[in-house]
Amino acid sequence: MPKPEALTGIHGWGAYVPRARISMVDIARQWGWSDHQWKALGMIEKAVAAYDEDATTMGLEAAQNAVRRAGIKGEEVGAVFFGSESKPYAVKPSATIIAEALGITPVTMASDLEFACRAASEGMRASIGLIASGMLKYTLVVGSDTAQASPGDVLEFTASSGAAAFVLGRAEGAAAVFEGSYTYVTDTPDFWRREGAPYPSHGEGFTGEPAYFKHIMEAVKGLLSELGLRPSDFSHAIFHQPNGKFPVRVGEMLGFRQEQLKVGLVTPQIGNTYNASALIGFARVLDYAKPGERVLLAPFGSGAGSDAYSIVITDAIEGKKGLAPTVDHYIRAKRAISYSQYVKMRRMLVK
Amino acid sequence: MYVTRAVMEKIDRHYERGVKDLAAAVAKKALEGIDGVDYVLVASSLSYVQEPQLDLGAHIAYSLGLRGARAISVEAGEASGLAAVELAGALLKSKASRVLVIGVDKLTNFTSAETYAQLSLLYDEGVNMYSSGFGSVAGILMRLYMERYNVDRLTMAHWPALMHANAKHNPYAMLRFAIAPEKVLEAMPMADPITLMDSFPLGDGAAAILLESRPKEALAELAAVEAAVGHPNVAWSEDPLHIESLALAYGRLSEKHDLREVDVVELHDSFTITALMILESIGLAEKGKAAEAVASGRFSVNGDVAVNPSGGLKARGHPIGATGVYQVAEVALQLAGQFPGLKVEGARKGLAVSLNGFGSSSYVAYLRGVE
Amino acid sequence: MMRVKTPPVVWRSRNHRYKLVGSKCKACGEVRFPPVHFCSCGGEVEEVELPRAGRLVSYSIVYAADEESRERSPVIMGLIDLGVTRVVAEIVDASPEEVHSGMQVEAVFRRIGEDGETGVIAYGIKFRPAVG
Ligand SMILES: [Zn+2]
Repeated sequence: MPKPEALTGIHGWGAYVPRARISMVDIARQWGWSDHQWKALGMIEKAVAAYDEDATTMGLEAAQNAVRRAGIKGEEVGAVFFGSESKPYAVKPSATIIAEALGITPVTMASDLEFACRAASEGMRASIGLIASGMLKYTLVVGSDTAQASPGDVLEFTASSGAAAFVLGRAEGAAAVFEGSYTYVTDTPDFWRREGAPYPSHGEGFTGEPAYFKHIMEAVKGLLSELGLRPSDFSHAIFHQPNGKFPVRVGEMLGFRQEQLKVGLVTPQIGNTYNASALIGFARVLDYAKPGERVLLAPFGSGAGSDAYSIVITDAIEGKKGLAPTVDHYIRAKRAISYSQYVKMRRMLVK
Repeated sequence: MYVTRAVMEKIDRHYERGVKDLAAAVAKKALEGIDGVDYVLVASSLSYVQEPQLDLGAHIAYSLGLRGARAISVEAGEASGLAAVELAGALLKSKASRVLVIGVDKLTNFTSAETYAQLSLLYDEGVNMYSSGFGSVAGILMRLYMERYNVDRLTMAHWPALMHANAKHNPYAMLRFAIAPEKVLEAMPMADPITLMDSFPLGDGAAAILLESRPKEALAELAAVEAAVGHPNVAWSEDPLHIESLALAYGRLSEKHDLREVDVVELHDSFTITALMILESIGLAEKGKAAEAVASGRFSVNGDVAVNPSGGLKARGHPIGATGVYQVAEVALQLAGQFPGLKVEGARKGLAVSLNGFGSSSYVAYLRGVE
Repeated sequence: MMRVKTPPVVWRSRNHRYKLVGSKCKACGEVRFPPVHFCSCGGEVEEVELPRAGRLVSYSIVYAADEESRERSPVIMGLIDLGVTRVVAEIVDASPEEVHSGMQVEAVFRRIGEDGETGVIAYGIKFRPAVG
């Protein structure tokens, strides 16, 4: 009997990045920091959601793009998984709003998932089981965040806004098929936000070795050993991208070359979009991927855990690329804003 | 039917008086020496939000000591006043011989920001759901006018300047000072290209008229009132600068009455652009030419036709649901030669034009002088 | 403050607000947004999804925004020609200097209001400048 992954594929993908960009220079100037502090993060600028945007609105636009590429009707989707750590409502799902707007309601599963930055990825793993079992025809997985950062925190350089979405279904006709998936989680308090707190807290260096690097490496190594693959078997590798440096380093540690990381590395241009971080990178890889290429995807979430997927591109991808705006379209469609506009847009004015 | 009494309160921030107090002040004077009326019609609009009282007409009638009278509340947004006058006309043609129409409204119980937010309710839900501000639609229309007809901002500023010049002489006006057109451009932007000086001041007011079918003497004859509903959302008009409901109501009126050589008009200049659209929609100016006509003096008291000698909504003031009653009172007093402000000498024919928003409903009253 | 976006109000308009669904006359084809119950010709109407791309006919930069919107003031409001009909809607993702009559715009899903700081969020359609 084939693995569930082999029966499951990606039929549509879509991204969304808000237009406003604030440069690292502007943020540094605001707090009087020297250049080397942000240059060490490997960042140029970050995307900022408008005053009237939230994880739901951004997630919907990404989902619209994914559904367009999938070429399916809303009612064919049997589950909507919405992964976010910046839910507009603490209690009340965003998944139902997205499902309603796409005509997926009422006969569908729908839920919001929380696991810091890898919640949406959990939706992807769960979808593989739901689809392979024959229980559902298609699922919609959305990762979206208007990432919060306490003003003046180093996180402010990277925490940004964006969304990615994927329509998963049977392998037949899919633009890419799963080959394997692997998850590694432990109880590790590297980054969190307490109930009612407006901004997250983090353990600074503790977010690195015991959290990000440990979990991603274990998940990827687990996947590779299960599938009997080596890093050189992959055309592209995408890791969670909290900044411009971590994904490059974890790639090196695992034995991936720079060229394998290049296409999927988007954080330097748009910032860390949390639940969409690795997934926008993956969406960009799909925008460029050629049939037959193998892709490694490894999202990470604090708390902590990482998933690793091996995905193979099919011939069907070419016909889908032009059906919705690319990640590069959103990266290019930008307008510069000042720090004061950023404060206004993210509702940080103290009343 | 005839207008036999016309009473007005100065439009102002009447912080010390509520809706019933204001209504009582004008009604008492209008009823002096009169033994009873068949109906009391109370026109009010924003007061339902600012000083909520349902069945307002009955409450006001009772507070006037008119126990047992018939009272009806009339709400038609900014056109409430003229809507009540139209209803009074219908009653006088059927079962009533004497009707008191009171227009009263309250705009100062809240801050201006809150009041402007409430005033958005005058517009279609499709527009006001954005909570973007009271002047939004007017701003869109004004820019459309300027760009389509190539009219500059300063030319359009002659309207508020003319209104202020007129209101200076009107003891019931809220803003009794002259302004230069340039000052309109320098005022605080409201909904660019509109500044605060293009719109009416927020003031409370009350006016009352007594209408009778066969009086011994009268100020003026209320010859007819016509009305029509139209697009509540300007997006739905074939031409957003043309007020279809107003053209329809005016057309119905002119089929039955000779409206040529009207001497005086009191019209609904909620914004400068509204005044220009009204002038063009009823044919007092060619399309795209109203602003220039205003600047050239055609609508001044000594011009071809005196428009808003009271100072209009812009300077006399615009207590929303009461304004139509002010307009009829002013036109009647002009035709009787008794208006206490700028007089239109020898006026024989007058019009009052009122509408809600940009024409969700429009009303036109035609009044004639009596010997 | 004036409460207008209460849960039942926000909820029952979700279909046309979320999907830009208007009404279309079965007799004469006239399209309206928000949808109407009967056409101005008297004809019966059916629901129809409107085109999401349009042209800005005119606009206003609104500085005296409502209390609810003051924090994001100035707000840009536009009259948009969608071909089949026109709509009045908010223009986003543009500074006042970038907006001009005749520009191409496209529909986006945004927050259009909130029932206070702890109440329900109303979502709906706004328009942004179209990019390439
Ligand atoms: Zn029709």
